[in-house]
Amino acid sequence: MRDDELRALTGACAKCGTCRTVCTLYPERKAEISVARGKIALIDAALEGRDGNLDAVQEALSDCLLCGRCERACPNQVLVEEIIMKGRADVARKIGIPAWKQALFGKVMPSPRGRDAARAAASAAQKLFAKKIPTGSGLHYRFPEAFGLAGRTVPKLPARGFVESLKPGEAATGDVMLFVGCVFDHVFPKVGRASYESMKASGRSIAVFRDAACCGLPAMVSGDRESALRCAEENVRRLRAAEAEKIVFPCGSCLLMFKRNFFSLIPEKHPLREDAVRVSDRCEDYASFILETGVVSRLPDPPEGEKVGEIGYHDPCHLSGTLGKGAEAREVLEGAVGSGFAEMKGADLCCGYGGTFNVRDYDTSARIGENKVSLAAGGGTRRISTACSGCILQLRDMAARTDPSLEIVHIAELVAGALSRR
Amino acid sequence: MNEKVISALREIYGERLKTSLEDRICYSYDATGKEFLPDAVAYPLNAEEVRRTVLLANEHRFPVVPRGAGSGFSGGSLPVRGGVVLSTERMDRILSIDTENLVAVLEPGVVTETLKEEVKKKGLFYPPDPASLKFCTIGGNLAECAGGMCAVKYGVTRDYVLGLEAVLGTGELVRTGVSTVKGVVGYDLTRMLVGSEGTLGIITRATLRLVPLPEFAATLLAFFPTNEMGAKAVAGIVEERITPCAMELMDRTAVDCVRQSADLSLPDETGCALLIEVDGQEATVAREADRVEGACRRFGALEVRRAADAAGRDKLWALRRSISPAVRKVNPVKINEDIVVPRSRLAEMFAFLSGLAERKSLKIVNFGHAGDGNIHVNVMISGKDEDERRRAEEAVEEVFRKTVELGGTISGEHGIGIAKAPYMEMEVGPLGVSVMKRLKSCFDPNGILNPGKIFLEEAAVRR
Repeated sequence: MRDDELRALTGACAKCGTCRTVCTLYPERKAEISVARGKIALIDAALEGRDGNLDAVQEALSDCLLCGRCERACPNQVLVEEIIMKGRADVARKIGIPAWKQALFGKVMPSPRGRDAARAAASAAQKLFAKKIPTGSGLHYRFPEAFGLAGRTVPKLPARGFVESLKPGEAATGDVMLFVGCVFDHVFPKVGRASYESMKASGRSIAVFRDAACCGLPAMVSGDRESALRCAEENVRRLRAAEAEKIVFPCGSCLLMFKRNFFSLIPEKHPLREDAVRVSDRCEDYASFILETGVVSRLPDPPEGEKVGEIGYHDPCHLSGTLGKGAEAREVLEGAVGSGFAEMKGADLCCGYGGTFNVRDYDTSARIGENKVSLAAGGGTRRISTACSGCILQLRDMAARTDPSLEIVHIAELVAGALSRR
Repeated sequence: MNEKVISALREIYGERLKTSLEDRICYSYDATGKEFLPDAVAYPLNAEEVRRTVLLANEHRFPVVPRGAGSGFSGGSLPVRGGVVLSTERMDRILSIDTENLVAVLEPGVVTETLKEEVKKKGLFYPPDPASLKFCTIGGNLAECAGGMCAVKYGVTRDYVLGLEAVLGTGELVRTGVSTVKGVVGYDLTRMLVGSEGTLGIITRATLRLVPLPEFAATLLAFFPTNEMGAKAVAGIVEERITPCAMELMDRTAVDCVRQSADLSLPDETGCALLIEVDGQEATVAREADRVEGACRRFGALEVRRAADAAGRDKLWALRRSISPAVRKVNPVKINEDIVVPRSRLAEMFAFLSGLAERKSLKIVNFGHAGDGNIHVNVMISGKDEDERRRAEEAVEEVFRKTVELGGTISGEHGIGIAKAPYMEMEVGPLGVSVMKRLKSCFDPNGILNPGKIFLEEAAVRR
């Protein structure tokens, strides 16, 4: 394995051990192989040809939530997320990517039609096999143990996605583009709808990005850079043509892709580089848009003294951590629910989802997640709001497992709710 | 190590024994950046497992290397001769915090900050504060006798150890020391083990002394035109009969590293910065801070900033904390030494260092715990230039000679490990080394524990 770029990145690690203090996974594993320092040593060994067992190296690199806490704590500013993702891709190039991921990332994710079909199929399958459980956030299905899904619960899939529910011609053009994201389009269309309706309150004309490709993050973190690049290129081309002033993201992970990971996939000499920079510069998070456009100042005063401090905010690692947008979300919340909002316990702890991590080691993912929601609930939080699709999927599952009355919502739903009181 | 040994180890550890290359690579390094691959890694949960491992090692003659968080700067936890790394990270329980006798009993894998936080909840204080306190372990701190910023007032790890439980190189489990403040029954085996770098015994339990938590603190940051003035101010503060809990000096080279940091805005003529913290009762703290400020001004401070609230103090500390990351930008490879000279010789040492850097055309950045005379001399090299590397090694040797000449010591808090083994005799002399070796053979006759450390002829010297 050879990768000079990657080698340059890992060379910045001084093996000091700071990453051990913040790693979400370290308390679970209590082993050096789980932390950034260990993984970087493994990548170096593979790059130097000292470790030829790439399956084992890939296994170690996959055992990471990519929460980025180590990167933010690192005194040498080692780009751990980029290193892990690049390492996974280099190894994947040698040992291959599982067929189901190839099909999902290469065929389904870049195409809007492919995703519609996939949701319809999944929705039908759900009704056949899974057991229904009502939760504070709506109906969930619990899969039987026999499916190898270990008691996981998933939200009831809707018959129609958010984009599909738009009337022909509705939100077709506008100065501001809403990038809904796969999950808020297909799994939680209510969030897509709430984002759209509340953004309209800005008085700006809002277009919904209908033919979006997946942001590409699931492929990227799985080491499938080719599919991730295809998603990125599709999105850049289509957004370049749309010429929106702003592109707004209700999901922090999608936004991370556009703000940061794009430039790993589309480097300096890439023909789309300039367009990618221009698109990226116009991208922003939902909360920032709501603040800038004065939507918050136009919200009616929240009802006094109702459910004081029962609504918390969960910091998505990518959005609050990597992109530093935690304060904006809180300001929006204070505007929307007033004294209903209070800092919840363990707000900045990772939810334990980690995308593909949740699939490969559900038990660990669930332990981290259950700990997160139990801590919040123990501190008096009854509703956890956040702004990332992965976190919402995980937190809903964790609430269904531990305390089904706990509600998990997107901040846009709270803003839309406040607007409806007008 | 052959299959028979591995399966015997597996009988002790089961799944907690790791032999895959990937797991071994992850225990091949520490903060020195050097790598030596162990044959196996085990995670013991109790002293009995450690004891059985050492007995097995005596039978089959393989090295046993204890390791805390692998954050050391001298290579103490590196398995230079292979063998089994015993990672104590899962022996991480605090067994008791006795608020009546001010004593804590704990396992070696407890992270230093965790102990500090837990005792703080009870209004108590465990003072040692190595820079790595957020991740380093008490076991590692004991084995290397870690120091830190507050050593000037509170001393180092050794000053807080009352008793230990350790597995000797023979596989015998020994309990040393006391759980009381006083105790003079026989030789002080406790202090023998502290700082022995895992070569005499593997610490499996520690009884530590605690003190009441100081209630208030004030931080001052003073800027001086020259190192000499800064160093004189240090002496001046001590002459005021004040013992600050931290007195951190950054010389011109260190100040230059962080000058660009936007939010710090140093006075233009700054050539040296001195950070002082005093702690104790509220009224005393305020009075002492006044006198420190006065002393700084008397010795020519350009400006003195002062804060007593947490946020303000944090802001002043930012300058000191920003040095380590900034130093990396000077050059990627850091040769990090931790010499100590008597406080009164600090100015002389700084002058020597600046001359040395010029003579050898090297980038040397100096900062450290001036209150106790401990200076971190960081020779920053590109790592690619052989001649530069040779000059750096010569410079390090000159620094050590000068240190000893000034009545100092070549390692204040990092330990000898493999990094400083070639220079030890320079300080302790041939007889000193010989006595140490005789002691070593008494604790570990078969040379099982952490071989290749401290002593030169065994050391694998590799920069």
